[in-house]
Formats: sequence, C-alpha cells, structure tokens
Amino acid sequence: MSTLEMLALMIIVVVLLVWRISWLASRVQRATTRAERAWITLDAALVGRAQRAADLVMLPGIDPATALLVLDAAAAALEPDLCRGERERAESDLSHVLDTVDPMLPASPSELASERARASICRRLHNDAVATALSLRRRYTVRILRLAGHTDEPRPFEMADGSICTLTAGPPDSPPSSLAYAQPSMQPSRELLQSAKPPTVIVRAAEN
Amino acid sequence: MTDPRRSLRIGMVCPYSFDVPGGVQNHVLGLARYLRQAGHRPYVLAPGELGPSAAALDLEDFASVGAAMPVPYNGSVARVNFGPLSAARVRRWLRNGKFDLIHIHEPITPSISLLALWAAEQPVVATFHIATPRSRSMQLAGGVLRAAIEKIDAGIAVSESARNVVVQHLGRDAVVIPNGIRFDDFGKRPISGSPRPSQQPRLVFIGRLDEPRKGLEVLLAAVPLIRQTHPNLEVIIAGQGSRPLPSWCRSLGTITNEAKIALLGSADVFVAPQLARESFGIVLLEAMASGAQIVASDLPSFVDLLGPPRDERRLGEVFPVGDHRALARAVLQVLHYANPLRKARAQQAARSYDWSSVGTAVLATYRAALSAAPTGRMREAIG
Repeated sequence: MSTLEMLALMIIVVVLLVWRISWLASRVQRATTRAERAWITLDAALVGRAQRAADLVMLPGIDPATALLVLDAAAAALEPDLCRGERERAESDLSHVLDTVDPMLPASPSELASERARASICRRLHNDAVATALSLRRRYTVRILRLAGHTDEPRPFEMADGSICTLTAGPPDSPPSSLAYAQPSMQPSRELLQSAKPPTVIVRAAEN
Repeated sequence: MTDPRRSLRIGMVCPYSFDVPGGVQNHVLGLARYLRQAGHRPYVLAPGELGPSAAALDLEDFASVGAAMPVPYNGSVARVNFGPLSAARVRRWLRNGKFDLIHIHEPITPSISLLALWAAEQPVVATFHIATPRSRSMQLAGGVLRAAIEKIDAGIAVSESARNVVVQHLGRDAVVIPNGIRFDDFGKRPISGSPRPSQQPRLVFIGRLDEPRKGLEVLLAAVPLIRQTHPNLEVIIAGQGSRPLPSWCRSLGTITNEAKIALLGSADVFVAPQLARESFGIVLLEAMASGAQIVASDLPSFVDLLGPPRDERRLGEVFPVGDHRALARAVLQVLHYANPLRKARAQQAARSYDWSSVGTAVLATYRAALSAAPTGRMREAIG
C-alpha cells in the first residue's frame, strides 16, 4: 500500500469519526435543550396549578379553615427562590392538601382538575426528557470529549402528583366553565403572584 | 411558548391501511374527527385507500403511501410499507405539509411510522398501542433505533401495560391516555330491563375468527356448557376471517360500524375471551357503553378496565385466560343475576373514555410537547 493510499484511508477514517462525533454531539445538545425547555413548561404548569389552588378560596361556601389550609400550601409552592428540594416538597404538600380537601369542597372546579392533570403530564414528559439527556451524557464518548459542554446536568423533578386522572387534562384553550367562581377568581391569583413574584423562567417561556 | 389558542396543523401517521378495520386505524380516525371539531387541522398519512369505514376523513386531508405489503411481524401478519420509495413519499409529505406537529402511531414498527420518525424535523408526539413487542429484536435493533427513539418529544401509551413496554424496552416514558370511543353512538339504550322482549338470551363476540389469540376457541368450548342451562342461547359472532363453526352459532362476517352499534345494543352478554397481547379493549368499552354485561379474560388491560375479580365494584366478570369452564360459569352468573346497578356503573365508566375527555388529554400533551420540543433549526441539524 502506497503512502498516498494510506493517507487517503486515514483521511476517510478521520472524516467518518468526526461525522459520527458531531452527530452524537448534536443528539446530546438536542436532548439537553429538550430537558431545559421541558423544565420551563413544567415550571409554568406548576405555577398554574398553585394559582388555581389559591382560587379555591373564592369558592362560594368554602369554610375558612379549609381555605387557609389550601392558601398556605399554594403560597408555599409559589414562594420564589426555593431550592429544588424545597420546591419538590412544597409541590408534593400541595398535592396532598388538594387530595385531602377535595371530597370536602362544595364544588370540584374543573379548572383545577385540568391544571393538576396538565402538571402531571408536563412532569412525566420532563422527567422522560431528563432521563434521555442523562443517558446520552453518561456515555463514555460524550464524557471523554466533553460533548455536553459546560451545561448543567438536568435533574428529574420528583414530587407526588396526588390522585389525578390525566383524562381531565383540558388544554388551556378549553372554554371557560360556567361555574360561578370562575370570574372573580383572577383577583387572588394576581395578588398572590405579585406578592410571590413569578419565577423569571415564566418570562422566558413567554418569549419562546 | 406556543400560543395556546392557535389552531394546529397536525400530521398524523398511521402505519396500517384503512382498507381493513383495526384498533389503531379507528383510533386515528376518531382523533382526527375530534381535532377537527376542536378547530385544528389534522392530516393523515397511511397506506392503501380510504375504505368506507373512514368516511369521517376528508379525501383532501388524506395522503396514501401506496399499497401495503403483507409481512409476518410480531406474531401476526402486518400489512405495512417500507423501502426507499415509501421513504421518499413520507419525506415529501412531511416537507409539503407545513405541520406544527407530527403525531406518529406505533412508531417502532417497520413501517411508514418509523420512516416518518426518522425524517421528521417538527416536534413529534408518538402513541404506543402494542402491549408486547419481541424484546429480543428490540434489543438487537436498539443501537440503530436509539437515535430515532430520542426524537420523540412526547410519548403516549394507551394503557399502563403499554407504558411498561415503553419504559422497559425503549428506556423512555409515556403519558397514559386510553383510546377513545364515541359514547353517544353506543349509550342510547336505556339501562333497565332486557334489550329485547324475546326469551332468548343473546351472547355476542366481536373479533377476527382466524386469529387464535382472539380466543374464539375458548368461547366455542364454553357454549355447550352454558346451553345445558340455557338451551335457547343465541350466539352471534362478528369479525373478519372464516372457519368452520357449529350450527348453533351465527356468523355475520365483517360488519360496518352501524351494524356493530346495533349488535352491541342488542347483546345481553358480551364475551371477550382474548388469550394474549390485547393492549386496549376498545370493543369492551363500546359494549360497556351499550349496556351489555361483560365477561372477559383476565388480561391486564381488561382487568384495568373492569376492576379486579372479587371487587364489589367490578364492572364485569373476568375469568382465567383460556379457561372455558370458568368462562361458562361467569356467563351463567351474569345471566342469572342481571345487575342493573353494575350496568349503570359500567356505562358511566365508559362515558369517561368519550373523545371529549380523551381528546382534550391528547391536546394537552400536544401543547406540552410543542413548548418542550427543541426549535426547528436544531432539528434540521440532526436530520
């Protein structure tokens, strides 16, 4: 085999190797991006759920003790600057509180049910995206060549969804319900949001 | 994030032809109809031509990839498309459709579904219908398929058992959203009393006659035992295929949707004796909606629908898979003690599978997938 042939063979091998590595790098990048965007989606869904929970206070006929219980759990979940573990605990607590008070409510608002279902769907998709990203990032080639760059490793969001049924997952564009409390409900949630300052990720989510 | 009110252009890929009836095909048609009613634009790509069962679909919204070829796959004969010509057609359809989102059914089958998943540059939602693929071939093909599986932005499984397969064999997860039924078509009959004045109890089976896993053998072995007590029992069988049948059994062959609605509406007992691999019992739900009493084998997906065997609140009787004596006992039991309360509960349960609920859950998953999916340019880089 002549030197020229050797050289040509080596070039072909290198080109194939580079092509394969760049393909893998783009897969890693896509998986990481999906995990990041899935987190933005989940975060928005969780905020929506907590707001709807806080709206329960306006339900006609709700007793003050139940209202306080729900509002406390919702406000804890909407608290800004929570670290991941605290947020997971606060959201789980909110699920448990909602499960507990549900049979005692004078009416079970469909908006809350659909927000809960939406949060559960978003969480499953988020954790699925995270698992995909992690399995790629833990590959030998990816670690050795640092194909994931300097992006943080995504983490699954672990919380109790509570007893919900995904079938109640009305999309945000579902027609507004005719329930009496539906109209004034915007008031407390806006106040809550202002006092709790929405996490900045929401703003980014709106821009995308 | 996407505007939640925007009307979506959705490209749906169905790997099986609408020439023949089937669970996946019916699901695609039902979903397309729901999406159009909800103000979205569904388009469907499938093999073959639109049969009469697909009348709900506009001709202009349907694209064919050509005739499907029958090949043995996963224990039965699948009629699917593959090869470079199909791949080119799939790519052209994806390019020209300007879809916001692609919804692929049964993505991991050797068919246009896998081709579409491979070529898609848009966000991808995939629905898994099968309960058990061959894990060996999954593992062997794993390396090749992994990159394609990674492209799914949101997975949907039609049952918990289908989800288990996704988790165990594909290393992904999926939202569980069951198949939908059009409840109003079936739920017209009043629940009280016998459907027909006649004294002949009517037993109905719907399913392919020539496919052993549909379990017709078990039913045929059980009927003589039931007829010892109910000599005038009427046995009506509807489904594709032919085979020798005993004289006391009436076969209607392939039936239209209208005939199916009428048949289920006239049934006293609906029997689902399936032996294996039934990911979702859609006919079971339709029978429940029609107000028939249900007797089914204890496959996980059936137990999911009906409740455990000894539960007070179960919606039908289940018997051990393949046990014709137990089937006969269960049928005798529901014939002796007609239970209108249970019928009402079963009907109520079936109502929650109406497209109005199932469709909104699918739409919520679309929205979540759209806002989580990497943007277009990044997808093209992979392509």
